[in-house]
Amino acid sequence: MIVMLELLVVGFVVLTVIYLLVAVYSRSVRREKLEKEFDADVPLGGGPGSRDAYVEQGMEAYEHGLRRKLLVLVYILPAIALAVIVYFVNFH
Amino acid sequence: MRKVKWTFWTLVILIVGLFLNYNLPQHDVVRITDTYNRQTPLGTINSYFYASQDAGTAPSSIRDVRFIDAVFPSGKVIVYRNEDTGFWPPYLKFDSSNLQAQANNVKSTTGDPQWVMVTHYGWRITIESIYPNAVKITPVAGPDVTIIPWVNIIILVLMAVGLFMLRRMWLQFWERMVDPAVASAEEAGDRARGFFGRLFGRKG
Repeated sequence: MIVMLELLVVGFVVLTVIYLLVAVYSRSVRREKLEKEFDADVPLGGGPGSRDAYVEQGMEAYEHGLRRKLLVLVYILPAIALAVIVYFVNFH
Repeated sequence: MRKVKWTFWTLVILIVGLFLNYNLPQHDVVRITDTYNRQTPLGTINSYFYASQDAGTAPSSIRDVRFIDAVFPSGKVIVYRNEDTGFWPPYLKFDSSNLQAQANNVKSTTGDPQWVMVTHYGWRITIESIYPNAVKITPVAGPDVTIIPWVNIIILVLMAVGLFMLRRMWLQFWERMVDPAVASAEEAGDRARGFFGRLFGRKG
């Protein structure tokens, strides 16, 4: 049982590090995409501050979107993988 | 400097390669000849190559380790140990008693061979009494079956994808965070040079 507990704690810490890395990366990619979209659509740059506003609006949409919620899979997929391994190694 | 870099990467590849070779599952088609357990006090070196005692039993420096003797079709012999792995390497194997019972059940003789596929990880190093750990025993039709190592394929592909993503993340971080910071620092440097240039009457 101690082994399982260790696995839970270590696994949680490792997965949290991965989650944070992926979250930062995903946000950064989204921001870059928004900036490029704006530059392509509005070649003259629009009014002052309109680029920032466009990007911020896009980021706001991202924060509430499905893609961001899917990041939770970082925790769920390894848990499923573990369950599958336990099943196939011990009970199959 | 080039030599240092070269040595470094060779070492990294070597260590990662050995690590994977030790931990990834391998498949042997063998005939099991005997199963037994033997009291095994572990030495300082080979203790690293033994897994944990059975999940649920108390720790001890001497313990019975289950072994499985087997023969390859070529006549070469191999001895596996059969221990719970716990979570490292991550086989999460808790059923070594059951596996031993299963191995007992498929014992066979030269005259009437019953071939099985033993999935195992680890190395056999005789001089340090190090044995590979059997994880699974599956009966097979004969000694010539083709085995496709799906698990290895999946793990290696996932690792490659992970490495690729890590590189992408690193490049993204560099492009979005470090480069702009360096650029603005250089800009500031240019302005500063201009200021000092004016101050000391030099042309920057």
